[in-house]
Amino acid sequence: MKDLVISILILLGSVFILISSIGLLRFNDLFSRMHATTKATSFGILLLIAGVGLFYSTGIIWFKAAIVVIFIYLTAPLAAHAIAKSFDEKRQNDED
Amino acid sequence: MESTLLNIVLLISFALLLSALGISLLRLIKGPTISDRIVAMDLIASITMGIILVYSVLIKESMYFDIVIILSLVSFISTVAISTYLNRKK
Repeated sequence: MKDLVISILILLGSVFILISSIGLLRFNDLFSRMHATTKATSFGILLLIAGVGLFYSTGIIWFKAAIVVIFIYLTAPLAAHAIAKSFDEKRQNDED
Repeated sequence: MESTLLNIVLLISFALLLSALGISLLRLIKGPTISDRIVAMDLIASITMGIILVYSVLIKESMYFDIVIILSLVSFISTVAISTYLNRKK
């Protein structure tokens, strides 16, 4: 029963990461590409980490898993914002 | 390796993550602007984290979880540093 839940979580996480990379290839604009990669990848990593934490299921692993998930969900918007801001400034500099 | 449900799922996840790695490598090579390449690098770091997580379940070694913590720190800092440096250069 526990193996079934772990399998579903890990498989769903991999599928989400694959979908986000397909979005990175198929969209035709930088902002659309970032829309695909930032959110879907964070959710895929969340599912994978939940599966791995359930597999070991000790206190220290759950603590580390919470640290990684909180850190990813704090920094993924910041990184996307930095990329978008630098792209926008570069585009305005090229127009001048 | 015995063929339980979990092992089969782990192998399928390896296949999915490896094809995601190949697809984002294609965007890294093609990418029209340098910002596309930075986005592709960021995604490649996340895919590497996923591969390390699946591998740690496969060999049942919980030490590999620490690598994921370090990799998430390094990928964030490198993304912010490169995208800040691009405009500082002029």
